[in-house]
Amino acid sequence: MTRISRCRVALLAAGLIAAFGSLSTRAPAALDMNVGVSKVVQNQPVSACNSSAKTALNAVLQNAVQLGVDTGEWLAFGAPDSANGSTAAAAIHCYPLAAAYLVTFTCAAQVPPSPDSAAALCTKLTAAFDSGAR
Amino acid sequence: MNVKRGLWLFAIAILLGSLSHTAAVASVDLSSGIRYVSDTGSLSDCSAKAKAALETYLPGATESSPGSGEWFAMGQNIATGASSSGATVRCYPLAKGYVVTFICAVQLPANPFGAHALCLNIAHKFYGGAITPLAAMPTASPVPTGCATTNLVGSWVSDNDSKRTFTMQLNGDLTDNDGVSGNWIIDGSTVNLTYYGNHTLKLSPDGKHLSGAGYNLTRKC
Repeated sequence: MTRISRCRVALLAAGLIAAFGSLSTRAPAALDMNVGVSKVVQNQPVSACNSSAKTALNAVLQNAVQLGVDTGEWLAFGAPDSANGSTAAAAIHCYPLAAAYLVTFTCAAQVPPSPDSAAALCTKLTAAFDSGAR
Repeated sequence: MNVKRGLWLFAIAILLGSLSHTAAVASVDLSSGIRYVSDTGSLSDCSAKAKAALETYLPGATESSPGSGEWFAMGQNIATGASSSGATVRCYPLAKGYVVTFICAVQLPANPFGAHALCLNIAHKFYGGAITPLAAMPTASPVPTGCATTNLVGSWVSDNDSKRTFTMQLNGDLTDNDGVSGNWIIDGSTVNLTYYGNHTLKLSPDGKHLSGAGYNLTRKC
């Protein structure tokens, strides 16, 4: 075998190893779900909650929708990637109280490939909600 | 020029290897929107029913903090060993009675039923209603011992080189004696082997021999 041939074989082998090496390192995807915070915001109407919920969901995920009319229950999914569907989703619920509202966060993520855990997703949503509620 | 050819070979090998990786098409399915208002009963009544309803379908429901009325449980696909479903039931006290909401999430296709089907059954278990049987969760098959001929789990040795051995696992992984990994799938007697490329082999009727694509393997008992 000539030196050039050996070089070609070595490069081919290196390519195969690089391509197949990752086969042994795939982690199984798992569903991650998080019951986020629930809090009462005083002296605010539920319409303010609805507005902040929609803004937060659209900031962190996309296409936030309210389930039904004036239900205060908002839902959104992450952008689907080319290999998967949406790997993250969340719900924000707003409930009217007397001169206040109650808001809850629930998040789900498929990890991997989602870069965020469900808890991290809920933390982001809570922060986005709070900044929109100010 | 020769270096260029070598680099082309390297690139082609990378490309072929990448193509052999099967893309996992999976997604999160979330169901929200089911709620129920009870004119009677306390928060603790709601909590007791929430825990019972959850545990009908998912094991080990827990309350996020004692007395919060927020209940949560996860279910595992035993065949994959990973969580594939989860649900939360939240109870809120009203001046008279309580309101309860149901949110469910599943990972598809690892989970055999959707989030809405799960939530509907948990809700119906809570306040009454038609229960629709959910598709059965896959259960772990016992690891075959000896020469099980219905799958490839076990050890195999190459007829051409007795030092070349393969260990095939229940989850479809395979590893050779050098630690190189791959995958196997069997459909009837046709075996697709992903190991330095994709290969189609045939399992012999007695389940003891695999052959094709330059491979001749015999099951070790």
